[in-house]
Amino acid sequence: MSVAAANPRPRRRPARYWVAAAIAGVLVVVLIANSLLDYAYLGTIAGRTSLFGLLAVALTALATFIAVRVLDRDPGQRRRHAIRAAVLLGLATLLWLLVSDFFLFAQSAGPEVAAVCALACLPTTAFALFVIRRIDRNEKEPWRIVLVAAAWGAIVATSLVIWGESFWQAIAVRTLVPGPGLDAAQAFSAGLLEELGKGAAVLLLFLVMRNEFDDVVDGIVYGAAVGLGFNFMESITYMTNLYAIFTPENSGAVAAGFQWYARQVLGLFMGHATYTAFVGAGIGIARQLPTPGKKILAIVAGFVVAIAAHFSWDAWLTLFPVGAGVAGLIGIHLRTLVMTGPFTAGVVGLLLVGLHNESAALAAQLRMEAATGNGAVLPSEVEILMHPWRRFAERWRALERRGIDAYLRLGRLQAAQLDLAMERWHRARQEIETPLEAEDELRREILLLRRQAAF
Amino acid sequence: MRQSDPVAGLYRTLLVFAAVGILILAAGLAEFAYFEPVNPSGLHVHIVGVFHYDPATNQTSGPDEQTFGRADQFAAVVDWSGLPNTVTVQALWFDSFQNVVGSAGPNVPSEMAGDKVIPAAVPKDLKFHLPGEYIFAVERVVGGQPVEVLGRRIVEVDRS
Repeated sequence: MSVAAANPRPRRRPARYWVAAAIAGVLVVVLIANSLLDYAYLGTIAGRTSLFGLLAVALTALATFIAVRVLDRDPGQRRRHAIRAAVLLGLATLLWLLVSDFFLFAQSAGPEVAAVCALACLPTTAFALFVIRRIDRNEKEPWRIVLVAAAWGAIVATSLVIWGESFWQAIAVRTLVPGPGLDAAQAFSAGLLEELGKGAAVLLLFLVMRNEFDDVVDGIVYGAAVGLGFNFMESITYMTNLYAIFTPENSGAVAAGFQWYARQVLGLFMGHATYTAFVGAGIGIARQLPTPGKKILAIVAGFVVAIAAHFSWDAWLTLFPVGAGVAGLIGIHLRTLVMTGPFTAGVVGLLLVGLHNESAALAAQLRMEAATGNGAVLPSEVEILMHPWRRFAERWRALERRGIDAYLRLGRLQAAQLDLAMERWHRARQEIETPLEAEDELRREILLLRRQAAF
Repeated sequence: MRQSDPVAGLYRTLLVFAAVGILILAAGLAEFAYFEPVNPSGLHVHIVGVFHYDPATNQTSGPDEQTFGRADQFAAVVDWSGLPNTVTVQALWFDSFQNVVGSAGPNVPSEMAGDKVIPAAVPKDLKFHLPGEYIFAVERVVGGQPVEVLGRRIVEVDRS
């Protein structure tokens, strides 16, 4: 038995669902308009691409809707909905891979090269997703939502970018003076369109999955996940493209390999993951602010930092020229460190402060809960629950004594206890829409879990 | 919101980051405005076309083309006669990575008569042209800085 958020279902859907529906509707209209304009006036992308792309977007939207039902509705039929959502997401991913790699670039590089590039990017991206999820030490986000966030970054955001940037670039190169002015215009295009495209996914998650979006830490995790998804697809695209370009020069593999290193190792946490993490940080902070004005300002501020960080990299990259040989190799690392490092340090700073605040608040709430004596949290459990390693040590002990079932049951109990502390924290801050009975419901479930865990 | 609220500290920090972000974007806009001044001269140059090119003879051949292969040599042909000698001009080829791969000038138009044919060179250390869009631009130059495009041609270099 698993414990979901304690919040009971509201009779009427909150207004934020309608805001989310409106944003999703605008995104679909923008995608369709971009695709039609491109097809009709530019011809830079084949009509087939537009059609397959829209289908992939529709599948992703449907999968997301079903994934929301998995978490928010029909708890008795979760498994069936989860399988449906996974199948639809898988189809959308495959379709989009087909679009971006085969029709756009792999036509030259070949589907085998695209497959090798995707396989090369998979472990690094998976590692990064694992790390950012682990960072949320008090209450890890569900894998399925982290993966949905990454899939949105990879499929929906890249769709917005390909069409939007193609259109922008086609106009810019035909109207502006080539050189720094054109570079700046294209950097604005990348910063604005890519961060708006990625950030829309984080904003939708915030509006639809409020129960899983607690504070700045969650925002950074979801934002970085969207950025990593985007970086995954962009890496494959650049790698296959450069492979195709440089193979006649007998350096295709080297060019693709360098792109892999630059995007999947050196820039894995410092590029898109950092930019979109700022969007997530803004939304996460907005989650805990008291007035609509401050909430909006925080969200806008997150977007501004993300756009500016992205813009500065694209526009001023050439200010740090790198030479050849060993000096060039050092230069590339220094350039990334100097240009993106301060932004990454900023995100890490927000994350550490957010984690500190969260830990302090949860510890206080756990102590207060333990003091009530109702048994949901025992005084002896407070210190254990506040430290991931001590929680793990307890689960390990349960594993040694009673096997894997005991390990899993204790894990569910600990997660539910932390959920309760989080609910109490939000209620104390008046950040929660649901009635007090929700907490009692969760307490009853915790007591049931405790009996099952034989404590 | 209470002053001691830790979220307020995060909020203020984010606003400081946003202020830095606005400065960065403002610097970008200033850069764009500096390199893209809005003072059109009303002048236009006649670009005769982009043709296949023989580097050995410095001659072009065939019809005006929009598309070339990666192994093809090509050059733009410019008729400088329509421009007054009161302006300084230059012609540049940009490859699909926006590197300069061919140029003529800057000079006054009468001194550019010997630069009617401006070839796009294969990028250094490569055997073939890069695929993608190549831009040929004839620019008006003031103080060493291009300020206006007087004529522009875009050709596509095929991947094959």
